[in-house]
Amino acid sequence: MIKRIYSDIRLYIASAWYSYRALYAWQTIGPYISGKIAFPIAQMLFFLYLGKLAGVQNPLYIVIGNILLLPATNGVAGVSMTISGERDFRTLPYLIASPAPRGPLFLGRSLVHILDGLLSTIAALILGVLFFHVDLSHSNLGLTALCILLLSVTSCGMGLILGSLSLRTRAAWEITSMISILLYILSGVNFPIDVLPKFLQAISYSLPLTRGIQAARLAMSGATWSTISQLFTGELLIGLVYIVAGYTLFIWFEKLSLVDGQIEAM
Amino acid sequence: MRLNRLPFVWKQMNVQFRMRTLNLLAFGLTVTQPVIFSAVGYFLARTAGRAQIDFIHTIIGSGVMGMWSTLLFTSFFDLRADRREGTLELLVGSPTSIFSILSIRAFANVLLGCVSFLLSMIVAMSLFGFALPHGNFPYFLVSLAIMLFGFWCIGIFLAHWPVVSRLSGLFLNYLELPIGMLTGFMFPVSLLPAWAQWLSMLTPLSWAFKGLSASFQSDIDLPSLWINWMMTLGISLVFLVGTFFMSKRVQDMIRVTGELSSV
Repeated sequence: MIKRIYSDIRLYIASAWYSYRALYAWQTIGPYISGKIAFPIAQMLFFLYLGKLAGVQNPLYIVIGNILLLPATNGVAGVSMTISGERDFRTLPYLIASPAPRGPLFLGRSLVHILDGLLSTIAALILGVLFFHVDLSHSNLGLTALCILLLSVTSCGMGLILGSLSLRTRAAWEITSMISILLYILSGVNFPIDVLPKFLQAISYSLPLTRGIQAARLAMSGATWSTISQLFTGELLIGLVYIVAGYTLFIWFEKLSLVDGQIEAM
Repeated sequence: MRLNRLPFVWKQMNVQFRMRTLNLLAFGLTVTQPVIFSAVGYFLARTAGRAQIDFIHTIIGSGVMGMWSTLLFTSFFDLRADRREGTLELLVGSPTSIFSILSIRAFANVLLGCVSFLLSMIVAMSLFGFALPHGNFPYFLVSLAIMLFGFWCIGIFLAHWPVVSRLSGLFLNYLELPIGMLTGFMFPVSLLPAWAQWLSMLTPLSWAFKGLSASFQSDIDLPSLWINWMMTLGISLVFLVGTFFMSKRVQDMIRVTGELSSV
């Protein structure tokens, strides 16, 4: 048993390390940092000006929402891309043929995205304070950090579900991109969920991120654990459901692909 | 012997359309993304307690933004796809110049992006009761044609960058929203700081969108519309001529040095 756990941890770390090497080791610091600065600023400004045009009273709501979406985007897009990337680089059959357990093998790959998402968020928060006057002086910083970590983890479940589609379709990345931009509406990033029609509110609350972003907003405004505990626990549970669903879907699609021999044909 | 280029143009466009219409990414860029951006604008207006939206920027603008996103991600990544699939060498080795090939592809991509614009017009007319003011149709058509020309020139310019540098891909992903802001598709450029307003004058797309917006107004300011048209054409031509010389230089360079796949 202990040997098995040790082996899984070793595989998880090795998987994370190779994922890091594949994704970032070749990059120079300049483009990486510029990506961390350029993209968040562009995204915040774009929606901020949309808000200005609409006459939104509290533009900081949009800025903070877009900062909080960054770890989630990393989780969703990063994890999905990791699996579809294996397909693009023709390495997916080797992974599928290997006897390694799928959990640590693929979840290890998401560790890099979780860490990168956290880095992105820290960078965006600094930019938010410097350029958009985000006030963190009353924030519950520990709880905010915990909420951001939670968002990074729970979003990986959605990434896993979308990434699993790579086993059955070539268009997994495109589907991921479309779902990712839907989050601008459904996760309460740019405006409160209450303004959405009822059916969209129902979809919104069945997604990870919605409660996590609400909890993080409250923590940033100084709320304590008792205020956000319900939202936090809800986010954690939904995230776990998505991770389990993603893993189950992956195993199911893997079996289907092995049966019909279409792992790279679809 | 003078060759008839039309069959080549037709075949190239045919292939490009087939590749794009069967591609979910193109659907996402031309349909999903504009709808999402429009919806964000709409819900932001509801958050602000406004019953009306600025339909030119929120609806039409998101359609034009969709054209821009489609052009950016299709034109730029066309050549990267060739490199990945091993067809870049064949393209460069063929007697047809890279400039001709990429121009036709960019044209097909611009036409594909029009789907986005058409959808936004349909939404504006059907859901928001928008009607083009009487007598404005010719101005609208000219404005649209000039805007498409502007998009085409920018598309050719973008399409050449992967030949110039592999690294350009790292930065191009971040161009979509900044250029979308500078062009004022989804909100007026006047909301931007003064330096950004000056910068926006350097892109033909901002003038083109100003011209298109002006053609929707019931009282058209003709001299101003002409300025918008001329500025779009002038700046677009600068991009086109610049790209033509860049293309020749790059094609010569990669043939002489044999560094096609390493750049």
